[in-house]
Amino acid sequence: MIKQLSVFVQNEIGSLAGVTSVLKDNNINLRAIASFDTPEFAILRIVVDQPEKAKSLLSEHGFAVKMSEAVAVELIDKPGALDGMLHVIADAGLGVNYIYSIVVREGKVPLMIINTEDLPKTAAVLREKGYTVAEQEDIKS
Amino acid sequence: MIWAKEETLPRKELEEIQLARLKETVTRVYEKVPAYREKMDRAGVRSEDIRSLADLQRLPFTNKKDLRDNYPFGLFTVPKKELVRVHASSGTTGKPTVVGYTRKDLQTWTECVSRIAAMGGATEDDVAQICFGYGMFTGALGLHYGLENIGAIVCPTSSGNTQKQIMYMQDFGTTLLVATPSYALHIGEVVRQMGIDPEKDLKIKIGLVGGEGMTEPMREEMHKLWGNDMKVTQNYGMSELIGPGVSGECLELCGMHINEDHFIPEIIDPDTGEVLEPGTKGELVITCITKEALPLIRYRTRDISRLMYEPCKCGRTTVRMENLSGRSDDMLIIRGVNVFPTQIEEVLLKVPEIGAHYEIIVDRKNHLDLMEIKVELADESLLDSYAKLGELERKIKTSLRVVLGLDASIKLVAPRSLQRFEGKAKRVTDLRKS
Repeated sequence: MIKQLSVFVQNEIGSLAGVTSVLKDNNINLRAIASFDTPEFAILRIVVDQPEKAKSLLSEHGFAVKMSEAVAVELIDKPGALDGMLHVIADAGLGVNYIYSIVVREGKVPLMIINTEDLPKTAAVLREKGYTVAEQEDIKS
Repeated sequence: MIWAKEETLPRKELEEIQLARLKETVTRVYEKVPAYREKMDRAGVRSEDIRSLADLQRLPFTNKKDLRDNYPFGLFTVPKKELVRVHASSGTTGKPTVVGYTRKDLQTWTECVSRIAAMGGATEDDVAQICFGYGMFTGALGLHYGLENIGAIVCPTSSGNTQKQIMYMQDFGTTLLVATPSYALHIGEVVRQMGIDPEKDLKIKIGLVGGEGMTEPMREEMHKLWGNDMKVTQNYGMSELIGPGVSGECLELCGMHINEDHFIPEIIDPDTGEVLEPGTKGELVITCITKEALPLIRYRTRDISRLMYEPCKCGRTTVRMENLSGRSDDMLIIRGVNVFPTQIEEVLLKVPEIGAHYEIIVDRKNHLDLMEIKVELADESLLDSYAKLGELERKIKTSLRVVLGLDASIKLVAPRSLQRFEGKAKRVTDLRKS
């Protein structure tokens, strides 16, 4: 299981840059980011190498931030890899709330970050089927 | 502590004092101020017609417009030479309203404010920090002299420069804070952000707030930030009448005691001008009966309140005015529905997932009034999903619909992103007027 941060951002010019500049100024490495086009505001999901430090810095800068866990699974680069993974989750009766990815991992395979209503079960069924579920140490710089 | 014996007079005795002072005041304004003479002549009422307190109703009202029309000194009953101070109201449009004081008026004012400060718990042992803006606004100097008269140490820090305010609070051991409710909340937020625990690290035990109304949920917010031990009372006044010092809450927190030996209150129907039964809600009208320079007769405050004559546990016999339920000036008419911003505030401050600050924007699109309310997200646990945030918006919308009978669109914004105020808050923008 890894830690992700969910940050409340307003639909305004520069609001994402406001988050990233806090991270940059404090040498925090951003591993993954996801946000979608929403009319009013967005929940920005990020994975960083130092989640606790990032959370407290962002809070100090006035952002609403929540730290939570997410399942990160290694994705082998071949056709149908994601399809197989999603079927394992669906077959276990779990719904995916959202999914995004960490692609750049210095030679290692990409990670898919998955949120469901039951994270421990999701990790367990994937492990059972031979998938490698990453831990926080695996995404340190 | 009860500051003056006049606060505990039997009603009969108080009314005798009121009547004598009213008669004297009416006679004087009729003689000295042409504008009053014309009004009274037009209404067919002479000074000698005032034989009882009930005859007060026969006198014409005074409006803010009368002060503007007679700008700056036209309603004064004394020559300029006798004035020792002037103040002006914070008018946002046109000329401000100017008020003047003789030496005796300043003494009266100081006395009235001392009473209100004592009602809120102030004593000679207090270190009072005045975070009202000094200048033409009556708030700061009113509380300044009233507290000095009690014997407290007065620190005239004025408003703004919040970090420095907090430094003085720590270094001087400030025990009493004077501010608008919105600024007191803002200082409290900054105190918390700096990692200071007011209950352990500061000595503030009394908050005397005024300059704008405070709703009950706002008082609760104040306790959340400043601690439950802080005694937060609000007081009421306006520069036209004297400044602060017209009325204030005692520690029983059941309305604001009016200094009735100086001000006679009435409640009227704002549409018909008719005086309403005691206990009925309506517009507060005040007559000044001890002022020398500017004794306004039946001044229409535009504030909505109710008078309570039942005895108070604190021992004072003076009438209490209910905490304001809004100003008739602030009332918004949205799709034909009367809406007071205080009604919206009461709803919002009961929602724990959002912060205490808000902004109301009213606009008109395709001939339809639209109200948008911006609120700051405070509960980070809702960031799990859009569904939870959407649920919060719906919940606020529903509570507002129950209270107002209107739909408003709710806009969640980031914490600390709405404007903070160092004086009176301006939370409503009506774009229909521009």
